[in-house]
Amino acid sequence: MPDHNSRSTDHSSATGEPQDGTTHFGFQRVKKEEKASKVAGVFHSVAARYDVMNDLMSGGIHRLWKRFTVEVAAVRPGQKVLDIAGGTGDLSIAFSRLVGAEGQVVLADINESMLRVGRDKLIDQGVVSNVQFLQTDAQALPFADNSFDCITIAFGLRNVTDKDRALASMHRILKPGGRLLVLEFSKPRSNLLSRLYDTYSFSVLPRMGQLVANDADSYRYLAESIRMHPDQDTLLAMMEEAGFSGCEYFNLTGGIVALHKGIKS
Amino acid sequence: MADPTLLSAACAALETAINGALRYDPGSRYALARLAGKVLAVELTQPSLTLYLEPQSDRIRVAGHFEGEVTTRLRGSPPAMLSLLRSDRLNLAGSGVEVFGSTGTLEQLQQIIRNLEIDWEQALTEMTGDLAGHQGAEALRGVGNWLSGRQQTFERLLGEYLTEELSTTPARAELEHFYREVDELRLAADRLEARLAKNNSAPAPRDND
Ligand SMILES: C[S@@+](CC[C@H](N)C(=O)[O-])C[C@H]1O[C@@H](n2cnc3c(N)ncnc32)[C@H](O)[C@@H]1O
Repeated sequence: MPDHNSRSTDHSSATGEPQDGTTHFGFQRVKKEEKASKVAGVFHSVAARYDVMNDLMSGGIHRLWKRFTVEVAAVRPGQKVLDIAGGTGDLSIAFSRLVGAEGQVVLADINESMLRVGRDKLIDQGVVSNVQFLQTDAQALPFADNSFDCITIAFGLRNVTDKDRALASMHRILKPGGRLLVLEFSKPRSNLLSRLYDTYSFSVLPRMGQLVANDADSYRYLAESIRMHPDQDTLLAMMEEAGFSGCEYFNLTGGIVALHKGIKS
Repeated sequence: MADPTLLSAACAALETAINGALRYDPGSRYALARLAGKVLAVELTQPSLTLYLEPQSDRIRVAGHFEGEVTTRLRGSPPAMLSLLRSDRLNLAGSGVEVFGSTGTLEQLQQIIRNLEIDWEQALTEMTGDLAGHQGAEALRGVGNWLSGRQQTFERLLGEYLTEELSTTPARAELEHFYREVDELRLAADRLEARLAKNNSAPAPRDND
């Protein structure tokens, strides 16, 4: 939500974005045009070990978060699904089975390294015939209006520089009645949980990253970017602003993660 | 309502148990394929939760969230469901289970599932016990368990990866070091929790700075 409201004295938008042409890269501020390449650096760097780190960092729970996302997607045979910021393709694999031979899944990501790891994984699992791979930016999706029955973005939105633009772009290419699902880290509902989680993500995550992926900086960025991401209600408001209706969210694991759902009416 | 993550865990466990048994039973797989497209809702009371069983061509999908038309809906307590599941002939009268919708589908699915080699009692106790224990409890407790159950999960997951997915095996020393780190994390979390608990119960000591 841009700062249209004259009563507001805060110089940040609802997303906490500074208004001076800079944006957040974790806790640092960088020029808006630099964020994308910095994010790209992180994901080039973690791509090869991304899946194993995901399991280690979350104790495997990310699989359950994704499983629930697939249930709420309620995708049916013959439908068209876009998994944007799809990375190594966990959701795409599930959708490919559900839409069947008549349906279609597009696994899209801005990052070539992540996409390559994803494509290899899908090929290894024999999931290819109904999946297309596309390198593209969530902020400017190259599809015709009203193209998809369902769009998912899992752990991707916080990396996108202009989230409002990305949400609007997704809204445009959804069919009327189609749904968007945003799976993303969010704000834990209790303070104690929040503090435990901070200890975990700031002291342990980077060290795990160092040990397993030899890359503490990237995992420090991940922890920081999680903290800077809009909380449940802010993201809900952003989705409504982008034109989605019937917006709701589910808190998962005490709000560490939230699944937001919106419908294009 | 339980955290959807826990419900997903229960569904995943059940799905794995059934599909694991189906893998060695082509006859049942064949029978199941003929039910593709039907949906059975199993509504448990105490703990109150609903699971959706969706037969597909060669496996079954178990979900906690389903939108769409249900072919048959069952409602009853876990023990009542269990005895219905195991009975030789589907006998609903006096079973304590209410049925809505097509009983034909139910009968076929019950036959298939009953014939599979699964230790139902154990599977169900684990599943519902887990959920009942969590329901209404603070989210924190779930996370406490989650943290303390981590190491085992790590080791199991890593084991799976080493055998199935990773071609490059991390050096043994690296792994051992990693486990030690995880242990330290757990201790640190325990200490933090103890400190926070103390702070909450006693008036905060004054700081000099
Ligand atoms: C943490 S990964 C998540 C991958 C996958 N969805 C999952 O849940 O495992 C984030 C992904 O977002 C991608 N990404 C970052 N900025 C993006 C953008 N502007 N457009 C599309 N993808 C982007 C990254 O390349 C990366 O693959």
